[in-house]
Amino acid sequence: MTAPVLQVKDLKTQFFTDDGVVKAVDGVSFDLHPGETLGIVGESGCGKSVTALSILRLVQEPGRITNGQILFKGTDIVTMPDDDVRDIRGKDIAMIFQDPLSSLNPVLKVGYQIEEAMEAHTRISGKVALSRAIQLLKQVRIPAAESRVEDYPHQFSGGMRQRAMIAMGLANKPSILIADEPTTALDVTVQAQILELLRDLNQETKTAIILITHNMGVVAGLCKRVLVMYAGRIVEQGPVEQIFHDPQHPYTWSLLQSIPRLDADRKDRLLSIEGLPPDLIKPPSGCRFHPRCRFRIERCFHDDPSLMDVGPDQAAACWVTMRRALAQDGQARA
Amino acid sequence: MLSRRALIYLGERLVLVAFTAVAVSSIVFLGVHQLPGNAFLSDRRIDPVALQAIMHHYHLDLSLFDQYKLFVSGILRGDLGESLVNRGIPITPLLLREATVSLEVGAAALIFTIGLGMVLGVIAAIKQNSWIDYLATATSVVGYSMPNFVIATVLVLIFAVYLYNWSGGAIYYEIGWNGTYGTLGQISIPAFALGFPYASIVARLTRASMLEVLRQDYIRTAKAKGLSDRIVIIRHALRNALIPVVTILGPLTIGIITGSVVIENVFGIPGLGKEFVQSILSRDYNIVIGVFTFYALAIGLANLLVDFLYTAIDPRIRY
Repeated sequence: MTAPVLQVKDLKTQFFTDDGVVKAVDGVSFDLHPGETLGIVGESGCGKSVTALSILRLVQEPGRITNGQILFKGTDIVTMPDDDVRDIRGKDIAMIFQDPLSSLNPVLKVGYQIEEAMEAHTRISGKVALSRAIQLLKQVRIPAAESRVEDYPHQFSGGMRQRAMIAMGLANKPSILIADEPTTALDVTVQAQILELLRDLNQETKTAIILITHNMGVVAGLCKRVLVMYAGRIVEQGPVEQIFHDPQHPYTWSLLQSIPRLDADRKDRLLSIEGLPPDLIKPPSGCRFHPRCRFRIERCFHDDPSLMDVGPDQAAACWVTMRRALAQDGQARA
Repeated sequence: MLSRRALIYLGERLVLVAFTAVAVSSIVFLGVHQLPGNAFLSDRRIDPVALQAIMHHYHLDLSLFDQYKLFVSGILRGDLGESLVNRGIPITPLLLREATVSLEVGAAALIFTIGLGMVLGVIAAIKQNSWIDYLATATSVVGYSMPNFVIATVLVLIFAVYLYNWSGGAIYYEIGWNGTYGTLGQISIPAFALGFPYASIVARLTRASMLEVLRQDYIRTAKAKGLSDRIVIIRHALRNALIPVVTILGPLTIGIITGSVVIENVFGIPGLGKEFVQSILSRDYNIVIGVFTFYALAIGLANLLVDFLYTAIDPRIRY
């Protein structure tokens, strides 16, 4: 296996608010290999977006990275001088955001905003930048790119705006593209098109993609590997197919159970996860998921589990794991 | 450049401005004719025959309706008639010259207002909650709680009186100037007095709007592209932050126009504002009507200009 292009080690990002310290990301570690597609899934407020922003050091005050390393090709982004981080942003690691309307500047032409991404890192003439912007718009399948390059964001549809954002992200042929909820603000049909585009681009350009979403279906459509986050921690990780077929953490299992399915029996009620995501100022003792977990045991209340291997390439932070929980459930019924 | 639709819109707006000016002057015309007395009553030695001749010369012996017809036909030709006090002086060229004087001071005040207001606002926003921010905010509060005639009087005291005494008469601000064009020194101090309260408002507004814009997603996008902080602020934040500032530019210009009445009188500037007060005091009603017409035109054109400024700054607005 090749060396990872990005290594996140024990990352902690905290927000110092008046109410207390919010531990938004609390000891997250993972590797990303060149060309890989990695999904990060979890509910709102589980720290997935903050993890992404931390990678580019874009976390806003009062947030701060308090611990850990983010190694990009071996150099630590956390301790890098500001100018060096700026060199990486948009050039080596690009990021696209959730709402493409609010994420594009309303008073600047779309083409100009793409050209700007190139001009920030390379000396190129306006003409070359323009033709490259047109080429990028074509690459993300925007029709009539030659004239569209002169348009303003409000003249684009939602899906086209997100395509333009992706074009902007690809402008400098980055080795990593972080997509933070890229399809959440879009129609379902447009969602599928954007995912297909990202999949094609991943194969054409060999850009590694980190896809952040709360939607398990989106992950299944694009990613090879997935990290499931809960309350600032990774609770389960592994290859997508394995996680889908054989989830070991009760949280992952509940997430999968809460996806509506057309082929499910009508009488089966959709399973929701009881309770609310925990307060990250004072997280629960023991396993952070225990107050909402149906399978908890005595140990979960006071003992905090860390990631343990539960299968080939698969790890879960759980004392029970679904394998045992379901076996006991079966015994109880028998 | 301007599209066909924009040109049509511009034409419509210009017609509307002209109509407003005629309407305003008509109301003033009817108003002053309801006032008792006239400009000639103070001339005690005037004999009835001469008075009759003068009344005839100014068409004051005609019925109000006939006078109004003459007035409107004159105004449509750009002729505002003759001064009642300084007989034989045509009003239009006189007011045009005085309007030029007012424009010098007003334009300087406007540039100063926008320039200082924006710079202070942007700095306060970028250095939010620092001593610079507090200083700028405190200055703004002082600025907009102080009426401009107070500022003007204090400035006269400092530059015309204290500076004169302190330098033994070598350097000081001379109250009152002649001719159409003032020197930089003559213009800048009244312009400061005229613009300072508005500069404070612009600074407050720019600060608030800048803080709002800096929180927007597209600012994060710009940073994620690897742009430097300077470019993010100038290219991405400032232009968006200016949109609400342009909104108050209309009322602000009107404030400067009306404020100039007081300022010109305090500093003895021979502009429209000074003429306005003098003509009322001397009952030179023809000039009063003329000044009102000029003000109506100026305010109408200023608002039109602001509306077109919008389209230059925000591509989402099109006429």
